[in-house]
Amino acid sequence: MAHAHTVKRHKGLMDWLTTVDHKKIAILYLVAGALFFGIGGIEALLIRVQLAKPMNDFVTAQQFNELITMHGTTMIFLGVMPIIFALMNAVIPLQIGARDVAFPFLNSLGFWTFLFGGLLLNLSWFIGGAPDAGWTSYTPLSSTEYSLTHGVDFYTIGLQIAGLGTLIGGINFLATIITMRAPGMSYMRMPMFTWTSFVTSAMILFAFPAVTVGLVLLTFDRILGANFFNVSAGGNPVLWQHIFWIFGHPEVYILILPAFGMISEVVSTFSRKRLFGYSSMVFATILIAFLGFMVWAHHMFTTGLGPVANALFSIATMLIAVPTGIKIFNWLFTMWGGQIRFTTPNLFAVGFIPTFVMGGVTGVMLASAPADYQYHDTYFVVAHFHYVIVGGLVLGLFAGLHYWWPKMFGRMLSEKLGKLEFWTFIIGFHMTFFVQHFLGLIGMQRRVFTYLPNQGFDLMNLISTIGAFLMGVGVIVFLINIGITAAKPRNASNDPWEDGRTLEWTIPSPPPEYNFKQIPLVRGLDAFWKEKMAGNKEMTPAEPVGSIHMPSPTILPFIMSVGLFIAGLGFMFTSDDFGNSFMNFIFSNYIVTGIGLAITFGSMLVRSLYDDHGWHIEPSELNEKGVKA
Amino acid sequence: MTTPHAEQATNVLPHEPEKATLEGRNKVLGFWLFLGGEAVLFGTLFATFLTLRNQVADGPSASELFSLPITAAATFILLVSSLTSVFAVQALHRGNRSSLAKWLGITVLLGLAFLVLEIYEFTEYMHEGYSMTTSAFSSAFYTLVGFHGAHVLFGILWISVIIGQLYKKGLTVVTAPKVYVSAMYWHFIDVVWVFIFTVVYLLGKVVG
Amino acid sequence: MTNHDSNGGTTIKHRHRQEGPQKHVIAFIFSIVLTLIAFASVAAGGVNTAFTVLLLLVMAVLQVLVQLGYWMHLKDKGHMIPILFMAGGFFVAGLAIIAALYWMWW
Repeated sequence: MAHAHTVKRHKGLMDWLTTVDHKKIAILYLVAGALFFGIGGIEALLIRVQLAKPMNDFVTAQQFNELITMHGTTMIFLGVMPIIFALMNAVIPLQIGARDVAFPFLNSLGFWTFLFGGLLLNLSWFIGGAPDAGWTSYTPLSSTEYSLTHGVDFYTIGLQIAGLGTLIGGINFLATIITMRAPGMSYMRMPMFTWTSFVTSAMILFAFPAVTVGLVLLTFDRILGANFFNVSAGGNPVLWQHIFWIFGHPEVYILILPAFGMISEVVSTFSRKRLFGYSSMVFATILIAFLGFMVWAHHMFTTGLGPVANALFSIATMLIAVPTGIKIFNWLFTMWGGQIRFTTPNLFAVGFIPTFVMGGVTGVMLASAPADYQYHDTYFVVAHFHYVIVGGLVLGLFAGLHYWWPKMFGRMLSEKLGKLEFWTFIIGFHMTFFVQHFLGLIGMQRRVFTYLPNQGFDLMNLISTIGAFLMGVGVIVFLINIGITAAKPRNASNDPWEDGRTLEWTIPSPPPEYNFKQIPLVRGLDAFWKEKMAGNKEMTPAEPVGSIHMPSPTILPFIMSVGLFIAGLGFMFTSDDFGNSFMNFIFSNYIVTGIGLAITFGSMLVRSLYDDHGWHIEPSELNEKGVKA
Repeated sequence: MTTPHAEQATNVLPHEPEKATLEGRNKVLGFWLFLGGEAVLFGTLFATFLTLRNQVADGPSASELFSLPITAAATFILLVSSLTSVFAVQALHRGNRSSLAKWLGITVLLGLAFLVLEIYEFTEYMHEGYSMTTSAFSSAFYTLVGFHGAHVLFGILWISVIIGQLYKKGLTVVTAPKVYVSAMYWHFIDVVWVFIFTVVYLLGKVVG
Repeated sequence: MTNHDSNGGTTIKHRHRQEGPQKHVIAFIFSIVLTLIAFASVAAGGVNTAFTVLLLLVMAVLQVLVQLGYWMHLKDKGHMIPILFMAGGFFVAGLAIIAALYWMWW
């Protein structure tokens, strides 16, 4: 079947705009995630500067509200999500022995919609003012009555578009893991990171449509004058809280589960031991996901749901400590008796465990509804969720990035700088957030833009600010490390950590475009390690060398996302007066929105009408390209 | 071996052509996953409607507003269109392209009839001064039913494009998954409508 | 083979039987009857409200089962994953509806 299609190969920028290769999309996600992570980090530092001393006037109250809103929103939706997707894209097809994801086109579409949604949200800084109703955007604070700028419109529409990208990515990874596994890789032989990503993708699938609806309702309230949350016409603000948290609580598990997977891989590799209690880990992951959907109202204890609801959600929340505890002990038992090497990824993983336990313990404290009446909306809550998200997820991401960096880029990051990064970051982290527990307990409210002196807040806030800058130094060391590494030769071996256990370490770093010259046969959990123990240098192939079918690059996902961006922007400004009759005409008659949607749906039509026949890499090319890639 | 695709399909089509290639199977599976997400989307819209169903402010209530004959007609039309799309998939499995295109065409026409009824219903309400901004109930009603209507519209356009492709490209292992997946979508639209006519219209009459 | 398929691939060769339209016409008539019962019970009125509500919901669920099971083939072999994910979707949808009905107004 060697019919060669000629396919246009792009170079330079066009290559990146049109790529459908999961490894390149991983790098795009990483770059975009780093950009937004940087923006969110700068916002965090500005917040901490403002709070460094009492009665500070570094920023105004309005600017402070915008900063905290954008810090939370950016970090959750645009900072850590894409970095998770970067690692999922870079690693999962390799771990399951696949040449690509199930839907390469959708993979690219997911990235570009995410990026343009994120750009739209951040555009708010330059036109009309950033959202200022908190990352939870509770009504009526986020209604047009109290939030006068277009900030919240940027929030609803920007997140809508970015969320669409995330949903597409989730479906893609579900289908990939279900159908694209190499022969012999049953579900219970999948690496732990693949498992947690699978469960996370399922949670994305079930959680994101809820927020889609929530954002639609808020958009309609603000732009079309609907009354979902308008009490005077029969609406109910509690509806927003329910919908937001039915999405929002699963969202935090969506974030943390992949980190659990990364930690499992790293701890097992650097202990030179099989992951302790693999099947209980799988079970615990699924249980956490299930319970994650059952506990949303613990964010609403003080809303007034009544004792029955509060008791139910309180108990359900405490139950989550059980599967999480199973995971913690499994990691400890994996290390126990192992030949532990404290490489940078493992340092982050080992630092993760106690830090995350602290965040988990405060979580159980908060789960107790009566006690929550005291903690609610204080810095105790801020400390808690930063312990689980930064101390949990971000440490996990650093572990994962250091661990898979050589696989993604073919170069080992400097271990020396990596260790410096770890120590500055983790010390800075605990300085920043440990004291915030006590700030909360002695009564400091969250989201206040300043505070009066001599209430016992002053010193702890200063310590917290210094810690935040130390974390910033840690991140800068990481960036320097990346810069120095990029100048070094690309010489990482297939298995640069030497103790690789899973399939990604059987192929070159970085892998060739087609990943596997021959799809491997999987004979057990930790497939590569199993072969190593049997004395084999490489995997047994499951197929003869043959021509490999590849999908064609395409610009359509990019254009579709641009269309959504235009449509969103147009819809937002429908009732504005531009002082220019032409502008007023095209915006108020939904012409701009229509053009944007026409671009998006037109691209969809083009995609449907013109079949992608793809192209083939022939066996003769495989031999020469196999090594250098 | 790589996955088989388009060109070799000129001779004989496999029994279930929509699942003959890896791409086709992925498409069907991926669409099922998408429908799982759609279930949450409509579930949340139903939740919104249910909680606001009595919040009519100064506007009319559900039982004053709705007319059952129109809803019954719309329901009957959509049910028949579900049956015709089943016949379409059967024609697909027989490899009968003209029968397939015929049943898809009938499905599209029924979809259009449904949409016309819905637009007529909405404009009637608008004439009575009952719009999106009247009350929380009206906002929820228009959003839920309108979301469903938008899905019907998208389905009509989508299936029309597929009919065109069947004539242009023929029934192949590339076009077959498109037909199958669009039929799944159409059934799902009907599933949602079953809940809409029950929860919004009938329960609105009974309880509202 | 490039890929292992756990879903559907193996069932193809077992299912060469040709399905006739009769089965689907029966399912269709069943759906129509369910719909008629639902509309008639509302049009007739006068019956106990709680009973009517229950009846309507049962009719709706039965009809959805016909659509999903027969017309969308969920009852056929090799549909474990679709069933799992549809059930997941309906479950989360149910959570939202429970919240809306019981924990929204007080």
